[in-house]
Amino acid sequence: MSKIAIMTDSNSGITQKQAEEMGISVLPMPFMIDGQTYLEGVSLTHEEFYEKLEAGADISTSQPSPESVMDMWRKLLKDHDEVVHIPMSSGLSGSCQTAIMLSNEEEFEGKVHVVNNQRISVTQRQSVLDAIRLSEEGKTADEIKEILEEDKLNSSIYIMLDTLYYLKKGGRITPAAAALGTLLKLKPVLQIQGEKLDAFAKARTKNQGKSIMLTAMENDIKNRFGGLSEDDEELDVHLQMAYTKDLEAANAFKEEVAAKFPGNEICMDPLSLSVACHIGPGALAVAVTKKLK
Amino acid sequence: MAVNTIDAKMLSKMFLAGAKNLEVKKEYINELNVFPVPDGDTGTNMTLTIMSAAREVAALGDEPELMQLAKAISSGSLRGARGNSGVILSQLFRGFCKVIGEQQEISVKILSKAVEKAVESAYKAVMKPKEGTILTVAKGISVKAAELSNTEDMDYFLETVITYGEEVLAKTPEMLPVLKQAGVVDSGGQGLIEVLKGALMAFRGQEIDLSFVAESTGKPVVADSQAVDTADIKYGYCTEFIIMLSKTFNIKHEMDFKAFLESIGDSIVVVADDDIVKVHVHTNDPGLAIQRALKYGALSNMKIDNMRLEHQEKLFKEAEKKENTIEETATQKDVGFISVSIGEGLNEILTDLGVDVIIEGGQTMNPSTEDILSAIEKVNAKTVFIFPNNKNIILAANQAQTLVDNKKIIVIPTKNIPQGITAIINYMPDLSDEENEQTMLSEISNVKTGQVTYAVRDTVIDEKTIHENDIMGIGDHGILAVGKEIAETTIEMVEEMIGDDEVELISIYYGQDVKEEDAKALSAQIGKLYSECDVELQFGGQPIYYYVISAE
Repeated sequence: MSKIAIMTDSNSGITQKQAEEMGISVLPMPFMIDGQTYLEGVSLTHEEFYEKLEAGADISTSQPSPESVMDMWRKLLKDHDEVVHIPMSSGLSGSCQTAIMLSNEEEFEGKVHVVNNQRISVTQRQSVLDAIRLSEEGKTADEIKEILEEDKLNSSIYIMLDTLYYLKKGGRITPAAAALGTLLKLKPVLQIQGEKLDAFAKARTKNQGKSIMLTAMENDIKNRFGGLSEDDEELDVHLQMAYTKDLEAANAFKEEVAAKFPGNEICMDPLSLSVACHIGPGALAVAVTKKLK
Repeated sequence: MAVNTIDAKMLSKMFLAGAKNLEVKKEYINELNVFPVPDGDTGTNMTLTIMSAAREVAALGDEPELMQLAKAISSGSLRGARGNSGVILSQLFRGFCKVIGEQQEISVKILSKAVEKAVESAYKAVMKPKEGTILTVAKGISVKAAELSNTEDMDYFLETVITYGEEVLAKTPEMLPVLKQAGVVDSGGQGLIEVLKGALMAFRGQEIDLSFVAESTGKPVVADSQAVDTADIKYGYCTEFIIMLSKTFNIKHEMDFKAFLESIGDSIVVVADDDIVKVHVHTNDPGLAIQRALKYGALSNMKIDNMRLEHQEKLFKEAEKKENTIEETATQKDVGFISVSIGEGLNEILTDLGVDVIIEGGQTMNPSTEDILSAIEKVNAKTVFIFPNNKNIILAANQAQTLVDNKKIIVIPTKNIPQGITAIINYMPDLSDEENEQTMLSEISNVKTGQVTYAVRDTVIDEKTIHENDIMGIGDHGILAVGKEIAETTIEMVEEMIGDDEVELISIYYGQDVKEEDAKALSAQIGKLYSECDVELQFGGQPIYYYVISAE
């Protein structure tokens, strides 16, 4: 049996310390803040990041350099036969595309398998956990990639923003931002579904936004991922949550989600910074991912 | 020998006389509005509705056929219908005309049948018919008419049913407590009685001055400019001004002045009011009109337009518009939105939220069914959502909906601007039209609203005594606060509106008559009172209402 290394980037919300415990590797995402480069979870904490973001610093994200990607692969291939790399969604960043290109280099061909399953944050973390399990079950790297990619549409994320300010400032998610009114203060709810990050709904208040997200989750569970259980049994899906900056608000919302879907474990992480820098602090996100059989 | 039947010629006269009588009593009917708001305009709405039909009737000439006449009344009033009473009036006419259009001559029997049909149509048009309104008066008339359907004597029949209608009208305050408190009879019912009284006068041979129909044609509802060639414009300059009188201007002077204007042009309007005279004339030599007017005093608000140029421009624009329409057909979108709104700020907010066409209007100016139809035409979408944003416009919107068959029209019965804003915010492109309709309906019921304006007369409503010029805060279900100061009354209204409910966001839209700094001060004060809640201040720019406020 070949020895498989699992690798992801810091968008998965997996910290370097957790990675060590899980026996996987995490590639930190680089940030440019006021001209200086930082690495997520390595040379920049979330607290520092939000401090700078709210102070109006000029923040931009970039892909991990090809050098850093290939260096990590080379290192892993020293004591593994194959690498399964699960980067952030190709719909949100070019990192995946670059990694796929690099994996076609002669040096890595057949050895590095880049998974293009459009996950981010908590759902990306779940993919990593699934990959670990699949590899333990004896699947080959290529099989793991195939299983994860086949499953790519079985997940959706809803994010409620506290403000449209950062979305507009970034100018990055224009079609979504353009559809949202800008005169009134709105709490837009975005959806990440497959490739697209798009406006899903609008709300005027946080409570309205939360209720929209809960309803959307319920719909997904019912209509897409196999139904709600009758008697508070564990669902056939993973419930996940993420937030930017405000842990207290996130915990309060977690209680509401738990009350709506009792008997299920809810995994919650801070949202990765490459998403956070576009949506700003105070955002709440929920995700539903069908359990991989 | 007594005339016991009505022919087309007579009916046409009677209809126009009814319209005329309503127009004369318009202001009086406006004042019968329960809420003493500055925009009680049942009389205006009903008059505009009937005028739209009167124009079509007048255009038929002196010898119309009953069928043509019925069609003119029916379609004219339907398209011109505005305001709840206007829509109901148009439905009364519609039902009435269905019966008479099939006849050669109208006997008492047929007339009573037509009245019955009229009432039936009107009741159908209203989802929740309320007694103590124009509907009750109409029903009373139809009951009496049925009783008398075996009489031959038309004059006796008409007089008796109308008198009975007046008796029912006098009882409306007993059926609707709001009327009783305000000490008025139902304004729509009063309007209907005025129409019938006018008709009776014409039946009895009284000649009516029909110039009012021509005057009101000054603003045609849907004139197709191409029908008039530029060369057909006889008098080229539209000339308007006000004379500020420094000399006497009695009825004789007025007649002289009018006669002079008639010698140099047409479309003449001369309205004298204490110390000013408003003048409007189409002429080829505006100088003559002005020189003559200077004899009576100094002039102000002068406006002279070259109508031939304007007309050409209009033709160009229409041609352009047609081209655009053709282009647009290719890219019809799935869903479009129409909202009734007034005020620069509110219009901007709604447009920003995705409204395609704003129909200017609201309390003060209820758009007609025709206005709504033309807005629908402008939205190139398969499904069009309409937000009437006023309870007096919902019926006209529903009526427009029944007249459109090439698009799916969904009327969301929003009663004010905040509800309209909530409705469009809750639209989700991923959902079906029906799901969106359901969401919007349930969300608009979660918004509490209040609007602040002033009283135009003394009255008592909701056990609150109100004096002319008092400030009133009107909520979703009645008057919430009355006072002398705008800010104070507004705050009292907000407190009443919210009560003990949990509220997350208070939105304040301030009107055109409010200074920004005053609005900011009020917003800060409300923010202090509700510290746990977000307060958002926006410029609405609406007339008449100092503040429109919502809490959710």
